[in-house]
Amino acid sequence: MKQSSKLKVQSSKFISCCLLLTAYCLLAVDSWAVVHPSKLKFKPLEFNPPSSEVVLLNNGIILHMIEDHELPTIDMTAVIRTGSVYEPEDKIGLAGMAGTVMRTGGTTTMKGEDINEILEFIAGSVEAGIGGESGTASMSVMKKDIDTGLKIFADILMNPVFSEDKLEMEKQKAIESIKRQNDDPSNIARREFRKTVYINHPFGRFPTIDTINRIKRDDLVRFHKQYFKPNNVIMGVTGDFNKEDVIKKIEEAFKDWKFEDVDFPKVPKVKEVYENSVNYAFKNTTQSVIRMGHLGIKQDNPDFYAVMVMDDILGGGGFTSRLMKEVRSDRGLAYSVWSSFVVGKFDLGLFAAGCETKADSTLEVITLMKNIIEEMGKSPVSDEELKIAKESIINSFIFGFISNLQVLSQRINVQYYNLPHDYLEKYRDNIAKVTKEDVLRVAKKYLHPDKLTFVVVGDDKKFDKPLSELGDVRKIELEKF
Amino acid sequence: MKRRKIFCLLSSVFFLIYLYIPASSETLDKRVVEHTLKNGMKLLLLERHQSPIIATTIMFKVGSVDERTGMTGIAHLLEHMLFKGTKMLGTKDYKKEKPLLDKMDKIAVQLDTEERKGEKIDKGKIEKLRSELKRLQDEHKNLIIKDEFASLYSKQGGVGYNAGTSRDMTSYVISLPSNKLELWAVIESDRMKNPVLREFYSERNVIMEERRMSYDNDPEGSLFENFLSAAYNAHPYGMPTIGWMSDIKFLPKKEVERFLKTYYAPNNCVVTVVGDIDAKKIIEMMDKYFVEIPPQNIPERVWTEEPEQIGERRIEVEFDANPSIIIGYHKPTLPHHDDYVFDVIDFILGSGRTSRLYKKMVEEKRIAVSVSTFSMPGSRYSNLFIFNGVPRAPHTVKELEDAFYEEIERLKNEPVSAKELEKVINHLEAHHIRQLGSNRGMSDTLAYYQTVAGNWKYMMTHIDKIRKITPEDVMNTAKKYLIKNNRTVAVLVKKEGK
Repeated sequence: MKQSSKLKVQSSKFISCCLLLTAYCLLAVDSWAVVHPSKLKFKPLEFNPPSSEVVLLNNGIILHMIEDHELPTIDMTAVIRTGSVYEPEDKIGLAGMAGTVMRTGGTTTMKGEDINEILEFIAGSVEAGIGGESGTASMSVMKKDIDTGLKIFADILMNPVFSEDKLEMEKQKAIESIKRQNDDPSNIARREFRKTVYINHPFGRFPTIDTINRIKRDDLVRFHKQYFKPNNVIMGVTGDFNKEDVIKKIEEAFKDWKFEDVDFPKVPKVKEVYENSVNYAFKNTTQSVIRMGHLGIKQDNPDFYAVMVMDDILGGGGFTSRLMKEVRSDRGLAYSVWSSFVVGKFDLGLFAAGCETKADSTLEVITLMKNIIEEMGKSPVSDEELKIAKESIINSFIFGFISNLQVLSQRINVQYYNLPHDYLEKYRDNIAKVTKEDVLRVAKKYLHPDKLTFVVVGDDKKFDKPLSELGDVRKIELEKF
Repeated sequence: MKRRKIFCLLSSVFFLIYLYIPASSETLDKRVVEHTLKNGMKLLLLERHQSPIIATTIMFKVGSVDERTGMTGIAHLLEHMLFKGTKMLGTKDYKKEKPLLDKMDKIAVQLDTEERKGEKIDKGKIEKLRSELKRLQDEHKNLIIKDEFASLYSKQGGVGYNAGTSRDMTSYVISLPSNKLELWAVIESDRMKNPVLREFYSERNVIMEERRMSYDNDPEGSLFENFLSAAYNAHPYGMPTIGWMSDIKFLPKKEVERFLKTYYAPNNCVVTVVGDIDAKKIIEMMDKYFVEIPPQNIPERVWTEEPEQIGERRIEVEFDANPSIIIGYHKPTLPHHDDYVFDVIDFILGSGRTSRLYKKMVEEKRIAVSVSTFSMPGSRYSNLFIFNGVPRAPHTVKELEDAFYEEIERLKNEPVSAKELEKVINHLEAHHIRQLGSNRGMSDTLAYYQTVAGNWKYMMTHIDKIRKITPEDVMNTAKKYLIKNNRTVAVLVKKEGK
């Protein structure tokens, strides 16, 4: 890289000038190469999202494969169409419990403890879990242990017995965690925000000691039976194997799993309501936790890409975002300040912005954040802001594919969430198309600064101004256990 | 939400690093390219061409352990300040900016001095100084380009732009598409040569918010901070990396600059680059951008030794939160033989569902919801071996404490089984293979051992040392260190909020 002579002269002037002015002039040498980063030219980088090979096994399992001989390891992953959205209202926590005890409670051929011993002796792992809108399972072993690993992986997915003993243990743990749910102020804020925005919807439900106590072994057995079927699973495998061999092994391991139709309970639609509400929970702290936001968008929304760019500029882009610049670096009012559009896969997602600030700047920060959100819909963003946001998303796209395990999960997600088949291939082009006008339009359409749900956790006696300036305050009574 | 914890991220990683990580391998030994620039800057380069990306780490061997009373938090504040730009970056015109910065410093020194007078402060004077500072800060805003490092990296696809400070070290990390490596060299060399600590006074406030978030209002954070300051009487490992609130509030910019000049030298740092690189070209590029940075005489480090503990210490931390317990025993650090034995003890007691503590306390007795063991708070100096547990009501921390001691006694009196030792080796071997699959992991790990052990090859010999450890070694080490007068116990006690 050539050095700009103009810059060089300028920099030596700076340095002599600081020598005069400060006693602690830093590393003063004036002969260094000074190249302005904007003068750098980069070789173009050709990157296409890597693919996986997909096969359909006899019993309906969809299998994505990537051979990779770098290391002598094999990793598997599986996504199952299920989730806590399908659990009954009086047994909240059932899905998560099913996922955990599937792994710990043993199978028809092995006790849970034996599974632990075998896996940990070979430094391998098999895990399972069920979240809001999907179930997942994974396996990781050294290549030489593939038969052992695969047998356990298949057994846990197909034949878990959900031992009473391990269920009891997990219920006790879940209850303890409910008893501790009000220990950390940011936990309270996260939970209460979700509860308020998704009121009367499974997305806004949280387990209670009651709902956990109602969960019985039969419920887990039934839940598993309903969703864990080969035709309801997408699997992936990557590592040091030969394709034909690994297909044979996986088919053999899952050969007793029979294709059966799956009935999914109807999940109510999220009711699209936006209204101003101010929610407050007392915690004797010196810093307030602030959350604000409302319902967001669904993945298939044609404005998805413009919303991603808009959010990056508002508060999703870290140091380069407006919230970070104005709240943190200009005013020193927070360490953490952000916004996020969590895009809903099957229904409306969330828009949330958050911050932690000392108690006596609570209202100052809330007002500031609200104004910054409002400003997004008032005037177009600058060319530079648009450029930073778009280029950042486009150029960092490659980091979504840093391992073959990640490539697998990208490919599986496209299928699981019914995204367009060329979603990954077109992603960067779609971001590139976003204009300033789009950003302004989607800010007006999807941000509702006059209809924000606020959740504040802290001690209102120490606030700079009363919360009631934002509207009628609903006091959240935190349960004592 | 993903980028929320910009600075804590690495701090917390370092906090919990414990040393059963590495293992030996012929291949790694041959693959890592080692080079030292003329000014003493150490480069460790590892080629991995799976994807056109790279991970970089610049790690300085300086952390909060190098601080003194009254100046706690200085290493961490400096880390924050180095995001603020240079004479070239982050400014519209440094020449115009400089006199303004000097004026602000002068006012701020007067303001800090006045504010420290406690009850004798002159409120009128403070008001005047504050509004003067505010006026200058507003004027200054027009001259700066906010977070220009971040925008430059961001535009070029950089991810994970971050830094972290621990007791032992300070590191600066970013991952980039591999065609952008020169951007990194330009920015990072400029950051080492010409840093400007602008926006200093608002950043102190940012860190005070960080402290409120991660310690003052976080039960676990507060418990660990209080535990460590109780466990150390003399050694600076007992002082918090983030700093005490009253220190952060008044950290003088002059002192931060002095700290920078003293420790941010090429001969006090290691640079690692892992990924799609050509090691030879990188060395040329590093030479071009970094070699002229002059080495410094790094002052002699901490010679204070923690005196032998002569009795159990117990503390309580009251919080509006449910109980938990930490027990810590003083022990030597690497490369002491007993530290290797502790790596084995750590694994057998605390790693996985088949570990002794999990099986006994979580699965069998069901008195705990979680238990763990690890070493902290650093590894450059003698540290602590920790037992941490969360009880399940109605069981108490006392029951957990007794259960920990029961397992400790077992360790002293019964030899560990051959199978348990074999499991440790299997894990080390597997870990050693798996870690090669991550650019970021390798970059940080190489830098870490180079900094802490003085040579990254510690990773290569570690497993051979572990293989030689016998059941008798484990018993002897447990008997020597895991004793009452060598321990500190800290308990989180529930106190309902008013």
